[in-house]
Amino acid sequence: MSDLLNTLIHDARVWQGRRHGLARPPSHSTGHATLDRLLDHTGWPVGALSECLIDRPGIGELQLVLPLLKQVAESERMAFWINPPCIPYAPALAGANIALEQVVVIHTDAPGDTLWTLENCLRASVTGLVLAWPGNLASRDIRRLQLAAEAGRNVCILFRERRQARQSSPAALRLELEARDDRQLQVQVLKRRGGWPGQPATLEIDGRLGQREPSAPRVITGPWAGSMG
Amino acid sequence: MLWLYLHFPHLLLDHLARSQETPAAMVTVASTSQQVLQVCPLAQQQGVQAGMRLKTALALTPELGIVHTNSTREAELLEQQACWLYHYAAQIVLYPPEGLLLEASSLLRLYRTLPALWQTLENALASRRLTAWLACGITPKAARLLARQNLGQCSDDHTLLAAQVQELPLPATGLETRPLERLARLGLTRLGEVAALPPRELARRLAPETLAHIQQILGQRPDPQHCWQPPHRFQQRVDFMQEVEQSQGLLFPLQPLLNELEEDLLWRQEDTDRLQLTLHHRDHSQQALSIRTAGPEHRASAFVELVRLHLERQPLPAPVIAMTLTVTRFLPRGTTISRDLLGENEDPKEAWQTLISRLQARLGRGALRQLEPQADHRPEKAWTTAGLQPQRRKPPVTQNPPPRPLWLLPSPQPLQQPPQTWLSGPERISSGWWDGERVQRDYYSALLTSGQLAWVYRDDQGHWFVHGWFG
Repeated sequence: MSDLLNTLIHDARVWQGRRHGLARPPSHSTGHATLDRLLDHTGWPVGALSECLIDRPGIGELQLVLPLLKQVAESERMAFWINPPCIPYAPALAGANIALEQVVVIHTDAPGDTLWTLENCLRASVTGLVLAWPGNLASRDIRRLQLAAEAGRNVCILFRERRQARQSSPAALRLELEARDDRQLQVQVLKRRGGWPGQPATLEIDGRLGQREPSAPRVITGPWAGSMG
Repeated sequence: MLWLYLHFPHLLLDHLARSQETPAAMVTVASTSQQVLQVCPLAQQQGVQAGMRLKTALALTPELGIVHTNSTREAELLEQQACWLYHYAAQIVLYPPEGLLLEASSLLRLYRTLPALWQTLENALASRRLTAWLACGITPKAARLLARQNLGQCSDDHTLLAAQVQELPLPATGLETRPLERLARLGLTRLGEVAALPPRELARRLAPETLAHIQQILGQRPDPQHCWQPPHRFQQRVDFMQEVEQSQGLLFPLQPLLNELEEDLLWRQEDTDRLQLTLHHRDHSQQALSIRTAGPEHRASAFVELVRLHLERQPLPAPVIAMTLTVTRFLPRGTTISRDLLGENEDPKEAWQTLISRLQARLGRGALRQLEPQADHRPEKAWTTAGLQPQRRKPPVTQNPPPRPLWLLPSPQPLQQPPQTWLSGPERISSGWWDGERVQRDYYSALLTSGQLAWVYRDDQGHWFVHGWFG
């Protein structure tokens, strides 16, 4: 019995006011100082699901996972991309120093296959990270995935739509992402283990367009603005 | 010389019984006559005997399974038995349809004693649920005749074996009916009595071939044998007494085949990455399943898992009456690197193969891709996908690449409204005049009003498109 309690306390599944901040679930640093601070320095939970709720691609969501992706590829474990909405662009990934031989892209046709694939990838010991765009998921499916991630001690990040924020989810970490501008991303923690959800915070994500001098003129003005009309 | 003969009294029935979950009584019947030829032990218990009329047998056991003999099938089956027997003995001679001859004297150096060899063979037969009558003999023919009468004794005493042959009744010596009748009229009943007669007299009264046959049995005349060579492939077939309609029903009979394959691969010290599974339907059509693993593999448990996934994917088009497993591709076995002494963690290479094989078996080989940059200036041609390979290769790293988006759209989409902010550009890409897919585009990065950072371009006609997202 005490073993069970110890496990529960150690995993930080039960929030304890008295010992707040002592229990540390296993996790990976996100590589973003602001986000780490927002998550009380726990980062991406290992052996649990994380959800990123976004409406459309291209607001900087991949910048959030790039440091983790790099870390996983360097540790010679596999990173699976399951049903990405667009093509992960190889030159850009190579430019971000990600070892492409550790990246596997999987496309599935049937929804049953998607869940099956996710579960198998999560349970395998060679997997380090699973990025998935699963579409609609029932709560019990997420629960199954959560158990699979626990069994394989892997990091799994699901990208889902923002309207699913209201739906309850067994995921350990839920982030709602909203676009700000080209160098900033608004992140709101909807749920995390061992802590309260936080206020929306703004995350600096530069480097999407490469390293630039902030003062240098960025666009050559020309006739193109007019030709759009 | 010492010879060992294995006589399979009902090989076809044993073979059929292996694929049955519950044993059933069966007999073989020649397709032309109505006489029972071979009887399985279960039918024997119920009183059915060889030589009985089929009607009588059916009256005794109404649920009797009837199998028609087929000489080509039996020859194939015999060769199947020779394949595993080759693991124990090098010199094998096939005596279709129901016997295998081994040259035993050279084996005694390996097995030390004849009882050890005998016991090894008995164990191997029992593990395959086969019935065989073994017999030793000083000549190939003597061993064969003794085995067929089930008079075999585990002995290498030549005088004892010679005496045993002398005691054989003449009808059991494999002679044809005419010389048999003649000898019976002469009042001779045992082989020893014939052997005692002067050979010249025998040759005069009987045909010279008859004399040759008798002399070969007794070892007075050479009897050259042609040894069998195993083929460089693995092939096993299983026949079903009842048609299998569900693909799940194929898994049970497949298990012994895969165990056999594992043993064969272990013996060869080789691996394979391709199994060919052929399903035979009643109308003589066949369905071939090709099962591939991500890397060299030999474990039956891994194969059965992949076959299960394959069968789940495609339902059977028709009931199956037989199944053949063939392996023709053999790979040298590499050494596995296990990182920890106690074997608590899986070998990462093996775990990788298991996962990828599983995924490929269910999703198809094309569903899993790896990305690779390609040397081309056109963005849509600057990347490619490749099938998964266990050998990891490092793509060349380009120095200081221009900024590229992490998401590329499968095909450029027209830009719907003017962007909110222009961020960088233009970058002109003009290329591909050599292969007819020429592009001339000016690329910009711009923030759209939706908040997305887009990679947009203007083509040479002045149309604007979104080609990617800076995710």
